Amino acid sequence: MKYDDETLMAYADGELEPARRSEIEAAIAADPRLALRVEEHRALRARMASAFSRVLDQPVPERLDDAARAGTRAATPGRGNVLQFPARSARTPSPPWRAREWFAMAASLLLGVLLSWRVLVPVNSEVFEAGNGGLLARGELARALESQLASEQNGDERVLIGLTFQAHDGAYCRSFVLRAARTAGLACRAGSEWQIPATDSTLAPAGAMQQAGSILPPSILRIIEARMEGAALDAEGEKNARLEAWDPKR
Amino acid sequence: MTDTPEEIGERIALLLPRLRRFARSLSRNQHDADDLVQTAVERAWRHLDQLKPGANLASWMFGIMKNAWLDNLRTQRRRAEVALPEDSGEHPAISPVDTEASLWAVSEAMNKLPEEQRLAIALVLVEGMSYKEASAVLEIPMGTLTSRLARGRTALAAELTDEVRGDIA
Repeated sequence: MKYDDETLMAYADGELEPARRSEIEAAIAADPRLALRVEEHRALRARMASAFSRVLDQPVPERLDDAARAGTRAATPGRGNVLQFPARSARTPSPPWRAREWFAMAASLLLGVLLSWRVLVPVNSEVFEAGNGGLLARGELARALESQLASEQNGDERVLIGLTFQAHDGAYCRSFVLRAARTAGLACRAGSEWQIPATDSTLAPAGAMQQAGSILPPSILRIIEARMEGAALDAEGEKNARLEAWDPKR
Repeated sequence: MTDTPEEIGERIALLLPRLRRFARSLSRNQHDADDLVQTAVERAWRHLDQLKPGANLASWMFGIMKNAWLDNLRTQRRRAEVALPEDSGEHPAISPVDTEASLWAVSEAMNKLPEEQRLAIALVLVEGMSYKEASAVLEIPMGTLTSRLARGRTALAAELTDEVRGDIA
């Protein structure tokens, strides 16, 4: 099923009728490319909203407060009365940055660096181990990747499995969410190990986690999109892959 | 229901933070944004008799702000055609309140969009209005709003991806 961008946008904005919404939700669960497009809409919206939200916290300049209450000083609003508006402030050149502004700039840069660092370095070391070819899954993550089926999850598992698909080289890959660590990631089978090419610890504290496929951060969705051959496996395909012990050559 | 001037003044004053945010998303810096808010508030008082009883004061104020902004742009354009290329009537984008890099980047990207797309983005993505509310403020059909919103988003996303591509690699 094809969905145009305006439909996906309206879905991301919560503007669709319930029936249409569940239809799109099902389509998203089956197709990470749709999920990616929806996530991109949401990410852009969140970015715009948060960038401008700090304006709300700034003190309102006095001249605006005066203008808002200007009618108060006139006997009745409008209608022939001359209202006295405060003079517009003269256009003054912006003062040079002081230490405070430079500090804020430096702090925001540092925050950016920390955030991107967190994307690369997973927080929970019990479920990851650094191997030769990168990170490997361990502990409950490894167990979930090995045995858990997305189609049989009830949503309160500590590790949620999202999409299962085959990469261009035939290897099985599965997306996952570590709920406690609010970390999402991708694991791909290599020999008897699950390698972790990507994790992202910037997951929003989403309330409903039932659709692990639709809450993946865009960074992970992009990696999935780049690696996926064909479409994601359905419940049947996922079960068969587990029967094959995640070895496509069997 | 007729409010006293004091009550109306109070209600407009309560809207100021949101009006400043809306204006900021349409302008390149907070100073220009506050000038726009002031223009809109002054207009609102002058045309208070046009506020229909029972009408939503916030929607009405946002609509006045939209018109004031479009008028400003038209005036600036006319001025630019006459002469004086360096005096655009606008302040440069960097002012002390813009030290946050993210606001600056987003604001510059917004500034590159066509006016009608900027308005749609500002009302829905920044102000969080529903499609219905936003199309009422802009006095356009819903379908027109959604297509402007979609086009604006595509352009904005392209603009912002170009800017971050460097630090991901």
